Amino acid sequence: MIALIGLNHKTAPLAVREKLFAGCQEESDLPVRLTAVCGIREAMFLSTCNRIEILTRIDGQEETLYKLRDFLAASGGLTPEEARDCLYLYCDENAVRHLFRVAASLDSLVMGETQILGQVKDAYRRALEKNSTGAVLNRLLHRAFRTAKRVRSETAIAVNPVSVSFAAVTLAKKIFGSLTGKEVLVIGAGEMAELTGMHLVANGISGIIIANRSQAQASVLAEKFHGRAVSLEALREALTEADIVISSTGASSYIVSADLIRQVHHQRKNRLLFLIDIAVPRDIDPQAGAVENVYLYNIDNLQDIVDENMNARKKEALKAEAIVEEEVKNYINWVKELDAVPTIVLLRNKVEEIVRLELVKAGSWMKDMNETERQKVEILINSIVNKLLHNPVTVLKEESSEFKSADIVALTRQLFRLDE
Amino acid sequence: MEIILFKLAFAFCLLSTAGYLLSLLIKKVVPAKISTWILVIAFGFLTINLFLVMVNPAGYIKIGSREFFSFCAWVVAGVYLAFQMKTKTRILGSFISPIILLLMIAAAGRESGRSLVPEDMLGWLTLVHLVLVVAGEALFILASCAGAMFIIQNSLLKHKKSSHMSRLLPALHDLDRINHLGLLWGFPVLTLGLFAGIVFAGYTWESGWPGDPKVIWTSAAWAAYGFLLHQRLAIGWKGIRMAVISCAVFILLLLSYSGVRFCFSTLHDFV
Repeated sequence: MIALIGLNHKTAPLAVREKLFAGCQEESDLPVRLTAVCGIREAMFLSTCNRIEILTRIDGQEETLYKLRDFLAASGGLTPEEARDCLYLYCDENAVRHLFRVAASLDSLVMGETQILGQVKDAYRRALEKNSTGAVLNRLLHRAFRTAKRVRSETAIAVNPVSVSFAAVTLAKKIFGSLTGKEVLVIGAGEMAELTGMHLVANGISGIIIANRSQAQASVLAEKFHGRAVSLEALREALTEADIVISSTGASSYIVSADLIRQVHHQRKNRLLFLIDIAVPRDIDPQAGAVENVYLYNIDNLQDIVDENMNARKKEALKAEAIVEEEVKNYINWVKELDAVPTIVLLRNKVEEIVRLELVKAGSWMKDMNETERQKVEILINSIVNKLLHNPVTVLKEESSEFKSADIVALTRQLFRLDE
Repeated sequence: MEIILFKLAFAFCLLSTAGYLLSLLIKKVVPAKISTWILVIAFGFLTINLFLVMVNPAGYIKIGSREFFSFCAWVVAGVYLAFQMKTKTRILGSFISPIILLLMIAAAGRESGRSLVPEDMLGWLTLVHLVLVVAGEALFILASCAGAMFIIQNSLLKHKKSSHMSRLLPALHDLDRINHLGLLWGFPVLTLGLFAGIVFAGYTWESGWPGDPKVIWTSAAWAAYGFLLHQRLAIGWKGIRMAVISCAVFILLLLSYSGVRFCFSTLHDFV
């Protein structure tokens, strides 16, 4: 049985997540200790800032599920009430579905974010290093990665930005293509401007100018971005140099007038200019957006894009859920095939097919034989094949009643390439 | 052999245009990428076709309307594909490939086989004139297509419309650069082509040619694009203004050329 136990941002408050995270972080050999618990055959431990989960293959006893829950609660120092209220437990098909949804970022705080897949891959890598996964979880994890990849490539769930700063960067790319070599002017030293500036720097802009009423504050921010600080009086010169302007001052009237933009536009030789006004009340005169080659977006425009993109992601999530369901079905079918009997049948069929094909090939040199000789050769071949198959088939039959049979069946299918 | 190659090139052109238009319709870039490769194949067939025309056993170059228009299509496709290698703006093909297809349709039209250039006029100067004028105009077509895409993208960004179309179209700066490069290369190439034509006409036709409608309209095109290039380089016109005027000049010239072809008699009509 596959079981998944854990908690996430939907089921547990931050304090509980922190406690469990801190407790589990200290345990580097958690997967190994898990597999040492009686009844747990394979295990993987996933820990991110929004979720902590343990994925296992267990012997199917109810008692093992309790042990698993107690183990996680004890590792994180959770009280019995916290464990009861915050932990969720999924088995078999539900566990597979949950894992696939997590990897595909359908269960994330920001749906469609791409970080989670990397985190699941890291968790799997750690489990592999500790040798705590086997045939079943290995296959399950690879299927989860495949599902996530399909969701990314077949839906547009991760295409549109869903934060104001990312939306601004995406728009800047729509205007300038590459941001390499572009100059950014930040007016005001607000948190939002800083965040947007940070994203722009990460996208390769060449220089950043900070213009602020307080020169000292501007210098601090300029130092952080390796840019230069200027006073608001030098705004005209800074506007002449800049390609992107982000404004977020607390001023009660316009800092950048439409006339100023018209005046500097000639000095800028009509270069494209992207103005981002995230201040409330607004810093940039809306009329500035009407100037040729100037593109003005205020906080509401950016928020509209974010909302629109969020709705688009929700629509794409429906397609993603269908992909997840399809992959869950495929995986469950594979698990069902791990029963010994279908594997024995497949193995026999494969061997019989090989014998038949070889006899057809040998037809040319066997044509001189009479019927009796020919039958004797066939009996000899079948006898050798049956003797060779006897032991593997017996072991498969004996082990089919045992919990560990899945490993042997999976290995047999791999050895004889029965899934191809 | 030439006719088979021409038909293959035509079929691939048709396929490529369908792919590019599909890309625009479903707003996905993958069909455009595939169409680019289909256009490369069409370009390959057309290249071999034109090569075979050049080295025909008769020993002279026969320029009929099929050869002329397929040569125009070849130049436009070549210029577009060369730009592709530099800019990777595949969606530009949605605008260029219908023009290439139209040229191929003209080449396949019922006038095909009609000799456009009398044999006594054939010489290296005519060939230089033809190659450079067509190449120059192909570059102007490219500049104007980039301009048309700029206008659409500009409108979407100004009106804050974050549509699929906006994502599909290249960035404004890239489109402006294509427009710039098209004009920058197109103008000197057309100038040289016209110069070769003038020298040729001076020797062969001696008089009457300066008043020929086709010469007048080509000179007007040259002057219009020269003006655009001047405004861009010397005055600093950029972006939407360049895009709008490029498109306007292109439409005007297209209408004028059609007018010349159907309403006036011209020395360039070699029936």
